Amino acid sequence: MIELIDVTKIYEVNKKESVRALSHINLKIKEGELVILKGSSGSGKSTILSLIAALSKPTSGEVLVDTKKISKLPDNFSSEYRRDNIGFVFQKYNLIPNLSVKENILLPLVPLNLDAQSMHQMSESVMQRFHIEHKQDVLVRNLSGGEQQRAAIARANINNPKIILADEPTANLDEKLSLHFIEMLRELKASNKTIVIATHDPLFFGLDFVDREIQVHNGSLVL
Amino acid sequence: MKNKTWLQSVLNIYLIEYALSAILRQKYKNFFILSIFTFLTFLLASVFFITNSIKYELESTLEALPQIIVQKIKAGRQDDMDVSAVDEILSIAGVSDAVARVWGYYYFQNAGVNFTLVGVDEYENQYKNSLEKIVQKFDFNNEENIPSMIVGQGVKENMSRNYYKQYFNFIKSEGTLKKVNIAGVFDADTQLESNDMIVMSKDEVREIFDIQQTKATDIVVKVVNPEEINTIASKIRLMYPECRVITNQDLQVSYQNIFDYKSGIFLALFIVCLFTFFMIVYDKASGLSSEEKREIGILKAIGWRVDDVLKEKFYESFILSFFAYVLGIGFAFAFVYIFQAPLLRNVFIGYSELKTSFELPFVFDTQTLFLVFFLSVPIYVAATILPSWKVATLEADEVIR
Ligand SMILES: Nc1ncnc2c1ncn2[C@@H]1O[C@H](COP(=O)(O)OP(=O)(O)OP(=O)(O)O)[C@@H](O)[C@H]1O
Ligand SMILES: [Mg+2]
Repeated sequence: MIELIDVTKIYEVNKKESVRALSHINLKIKEGELVILKGSSGSGKSTILSLIAALSKPTSGEVLVDTKKISKLPDNFSSEYRRDNIGFVFQKYNLIPNLSVKENILLPLVPLNLDAQSMHQMSESVMQRFHIEHKQDVLVRNLSGGEQQRAAIARANINNPKIILADEPTANLDEKLSLHFIEMLRELKASNKTIVIATHDPLFFGLDFVDREIQVHNGSLVL
Repeated sequence: MKNKTWLQSVLNIYLIEYALSAILRQKYKNFFILSIFTFLTFLLASVFFITNSIKYELESTLEALPQIIVQKIKAGRQDDMDVSAVDEILSIAGVSDAVARVWGYYYFQNAGVNFTLVGVDEYENQYKNSLEKIVQKFDFNNEENIPSMIVGQGVKENMSRNYYKQYFNFIKSEGTLKKVNIAGVFDADTQLESNDMIVMSKDEVREIFDIQQTKATDIVVKVVNPEEINTIASKIRLMYPECRVITNQDLQVSYQNIFDYKSGIFLALFIVCLFTFFMIVYDKASGLSSEEKREIGILKAIGWRVDDVLKEKFYESFILSFFAYVLGIGFAFAFVYIFQAPLLRNVFIGYSELKTSFELPFVFDTQTLFLVFFLSVPIYVAATILPSWKVATLEADEVIR
């Protein structure tokens, strides 16, 4: 399903400085698998998620999803690839603060120009599923952290993606909300999504429905 | 995907909706841009509208100019001419008509303005269509045998302001007064040139300016074939070496000079407008706020393509600038044609206080509307799209980090 082959990612900070975020990584994730990427800050977890989502391209090596080389996709195709396959829950949620919950959730569908009824149905269904429909007309900037996160998860699921990526999903949540997120995760896993989560929150470690925990250290995988 | 009209499949209304909400989300900033943009469109359109009106005005004035004017010059000054020259000029082959004009500028001291007194003779051919109409409409010799006159709108206003509502007392050459009744005012559609004009019988004009019966102010000549104007003018010059012979081409040049001088001033104003406009555009093009960049990054990250982002930015900037354009044009129409361009018109029509009361004729010119459109809307749209395009083509990861 997802395959990283000898992937190296070097960020050019400026002309002289560069950061080697990932170094010759090999990783295979099967369909329906739930994988936790753990590791200290700066180890390269977010970089891996970003490469899988085609939000950035590897400096060398290849990223394959469903045997398609997404690391070689031109920009417009990587947008389409995300739209059709990826649900990304960002660390900072990346919602648009001055839009309502519903508007934010519908945002990925806007370029598709669907008919109003299916738009409505799709947003109702994800809002119910992630318990945010009672806030649908509230501006995102007026939401609590947990509500913002549920809105972000709802948005990540509106296109019914095969792959769900979540970056530090519980970083801004208290323990109760974190446990609630883990319950939502269990449901997503049950619906046979392929899920990759980057976190250093110990709450995720040793969960029964997690298939694999992978330690990332200094841009390499510790196997 | 069913139940969709052709328009819905071409235009993505959700994208337009999003663009609208994006405009409203930055209410104050966009209101500021809208105001400045509207004002500049308004200024630009007003200048063009006024220029068009004046141009139209001048063109019709030029059309009405006599083909040849013969003036007697004595010691370098214009002097009265012998009426007998009319018959001599008529005998030149190719001349269709020659009319002796009796007229002059009358300085009205109280108002500090010049009136143009024009004498007409009911039984004579008029040298101008507008005069012909006036002569047919009014009876200059009314029952009471008090002389009367027809005045232009500007003259009427100036006289009333000085309490001459029914009549006017002209001061004759030798210093005595001559009372003349105001019998009427020219129609509202009267043009620039006739606004300061007073029409009365030739005899009254003669009396006021002390012109003898055998004399006239000048002679205007009509020719059969306009191509021959210059040859006939030279013939007249040979016959009357003491006279100045002016053709309508000579006059056109001097009228055109007045106009060019004025359009020069406006060219300057126009440049100021553009300059201000480009300042805004420059400011806009110089970059996006980090919030705007982030938003583009988010849209890309959740699956918008570069062209989806650019389409949205296009709608956003087009809606804003087109709205401003329509507002600006609307205001300019009202300002120029309904309110007669207060303040601005003074820059145009500065040569006599009287002239300021002339009406700017309504000239609808789609070319001007297009010109103003192309000078504003596409520039703003491009200035919005370009920086967005720069951000949208970056790796989304870089932008939202
Ligand atoms: N766009 C970028 N430009 C420059 N350096 C970057 C960029 N993105 C990441 N890095 C660097 O690459 C390294 C890996 O970053 P990454 O965000 O993948 O780590 P992480 O494991 O997600 O850390 P954290 O737990 O703090 O989120 C870090 O040293 C980071 O500073
Ligand atoms: Mg990270």
